[in-house]
Amino acid sequence: MTNKKISALTKKRYSSEKRFKAYCIAALALAMAILFTLLSSITLNSLPAFTQTHITTDVYLDKNLLDPNNTNDLEAILREGPWRSLAKSSLREMVPGVNDRKEKRELYGLVSVIAGDSIKYYVKENPNDIGKKVQINIPSSDDIDLLTKGLIDRNLPEENRTVSNLQLKWLDQFIYEKRVSKRFAWKLFNHGDSREAEVAGLKGAIAGTLLTMFVTLIISFPIGVMTAVYLEEIAPKNRMTDFIEVNINNLAAVPSIVFGLLGLAVFIGYFGMPRSAPLVGGIVLALMTLPVIIIATRASLASIPPSIREAAYGVGASQLQVINHHVLPLAIPGILTGTIIGIARAAGETAPLLMIGMMAFIVDTPHKITDKATVMPAQIYMWANNPERSFESLTSAAILILLIILITMNALAIYLRKKYERKW
Amino acid sequence: MRENGKMKNDYKVKTENITVDYGEKRALHGINLNISSNEVTSLIGPSGCGKSTFIRCINRMNDLIDGCKVNGKILIDNEDINNQNMDVVELRAKVGMVFQKPNPFPKSIFDNVAYGPRIHGTVKNKEELENMVRKSLKRAGLWNEVHDRLDASGLSLSGGQQQRLCIARAIAVNPDILLMDEPCSALDPIATAVIEELINELKERYTIMIVTHSMQQAARLSQKTAYFHLGEMIEFGDTSSIFTNPKHEMTEAYISGKIG
Ligand SMILES: Nc1ncnc2c1ncn2[C@@H]1O[C@H](COP(=O)(O)OP(=O)(O)OP(=O)(O)O)[C@@H](O)[C@H]1O
Ligand SMILES: [Mg+2]
Repeated sequence: MTNKKISALTKKRYSSEKRFKAYCIAALALAMAILFTLLSSITLNSLPAFTQTHITTDVYLDKNLLDPNNTNDLEAILREGPWRSLAKSSLREMVPGVNDRKEKRELYGLVSVIAGDSIKYYVKENPNDIGKKVQINIPSSDDIDLLTKGLIDRNLPEENRTVSNLQLKWLDQFIYEKRVSKRFAWKLFNHGDSREAEVAGLKGAIAGTLLTMFVTLIISFPIGVMTAVYLEEIAPKNRMTDFIEVNINNLAAVPSIVFGLLGLAVFIGYFGMPRSAPLVGGIVLALMTLPVIIIATRASLASIPPSIREAAYGVGASQLQVINHHVLPLAIPGILTGTIIGIARAAGETAPLLMIGMMAFIVDTPHKITDKATVMPAQIYMWANNPERSFESLTSAAILILLIILITMNALAIYLRKKYERKW
Repeated sequence: MRENGKMKNDYKVKTENITVDYGEKRALHGINLNISSNEVTSLIGPSGCGKSTFIRCINRMNDLIDGCKVNGKILIDNEDINNQNMDVVELRAKVGMVFQKPNPFPKSIFDNVAYGPRIHGTVKNKEELENMVRKSLKRAGLWNEVHDRLDASGLSLSGGQQQRLCIARAIAVNPDILLMDEPCSALDPIATAVIEELINELKERYTIMIVTHSMQQAARLSQKTAYFHLGEMIEFGDTSSIFTNPKHEMTEAYISGKIG
């Protein structure tokens, strides 16, 4: 009788456990599916941006044209050479019989506006080729690029596509002559921002992000760790420290844009620091990261068993020695993990930087923390707002690169934690 | 209950009316206890009676506990250690401590023992340091087991070995007094025997206070025994007389296993 009752109960318990487990698995599967969809759609969208169509052009590096005074001064040649017109004349030579002004413009529209730079770069690398006829790969314009990647439908009526019939004809000729190739788009990493999609790269944004993170790190890491050490190891436990602790935890919950307002009012408005500069961006993000580092460091310090401290005090170590020789070295993995996660979060932050002018069209790559700069997430936002078709895949590519950077940082944090994890 | 024909000034450690409060709660109610040099003194008594609290007064470990207040006079070599001028670091170099749970630093065996001499600057060069480490490990009876792996982590040793490592770490600083809070409670009988033998040897050089829950251990090891009960010291005297002829009925009850 009782046995039966119990087994009925057991059955019920088992089935409810099973149901619970099933719910958990379903939730997990859903989360993974969303993540997978997100990642794969970004990756797929971004793929076209990683390759770039090039047209192999025959260029005659006419010595009389490049170096009319026969100076042999490479720098002067590079500086003053008529690169753009050289690119144009090469095109005209490859497609004879183009004389009409309008047709000429269409012909030049096949290649990128920086076609001249490609020739210049070639000469810089191979100065001995001056005077020879050489083949140089010149990036195509972004419309041609889209077309070769199949993102523009060539069967549309002419007035509905950005590539004209004439251009199509020339392009087919080039394809027939095996002059058209797709290459890895290095310009993504060695060009700054541009209005022209075929030139626009992330160099400036990546440099800006690195400079900003550098400022963030050197400000928030020492201050955060020292604050945490003081609160956890040195300060007496009283109302004052409780009050400070509550406030630090609150700080972690402040919306990030508020930090941007603070940066605008205090650092730019009051201290007169430069706008759009990694210096101010770094300070603002440091304020945002500080509570994260403090909380992580305190947790890491608190997890160190008191027996280690007692042992050190027991042989006569001073408080500073206990902290420096024993507590901090053991806490370092946890501190680094917290710091990296905090910095990674800051690296993906846009709102506070909006307030201090780092969301700006900046072509030059910043070299100092006071140079004008933008950061990766701001770059993504600006590209996403660009109506041109080819910026779509560029935006996805930038997102993917940012994600890779952030995931690498987080993986590093996990690696550090695993590597130095201790069992007591 | 105390005098033993010795002059008052001969005592290594003298405590006068020590009281300890943890916040509102009084853990020790006026302890008077005098300890002579080169003797082993056992502190026995039921759990929670204040043995650890008392022993931690001697090297001021209670300073580390928030809200713990120690009052009364503690004289070591006639110097008041609660005096403002007393340097805690020097005090703890003079009064070593071995804890209930072995707590080696998560560093190499060598660094564990070398830590004290290094921070106190008692050795001048690497050679002296190595000698000091070897000597301490030998005296702690651990040398033969670890001499070929001094680079291994202190945590890689067995419990008994770890405890001997902690003893080596404590004596490497050359203390006068060694405080041991239940040093064998985490050990098996064989490891315990090794450590007891070690304590017997160490008393030639050090004044030792040991907290123990084992009556047999107290009887085997110590010359003097103090019995604590609920924060009071009930009885203190020669170990032999305490165990064979306790004066106080509570002591007798505890020894015969009626209080526990
Ligand atoms: N850190 C502390 N905070 C508050 N009260 C404490 C603290 N440490 C000890 N006490 C109290 O002081 C009294 C004495 O504790 P103590 O640790 O000295 O006992 P003990 O004799 O060593 O016991 P045991 O044999 O179990 O180790 C106990 O009542 C205990 O509750
Ligand atoms: Mg105890």
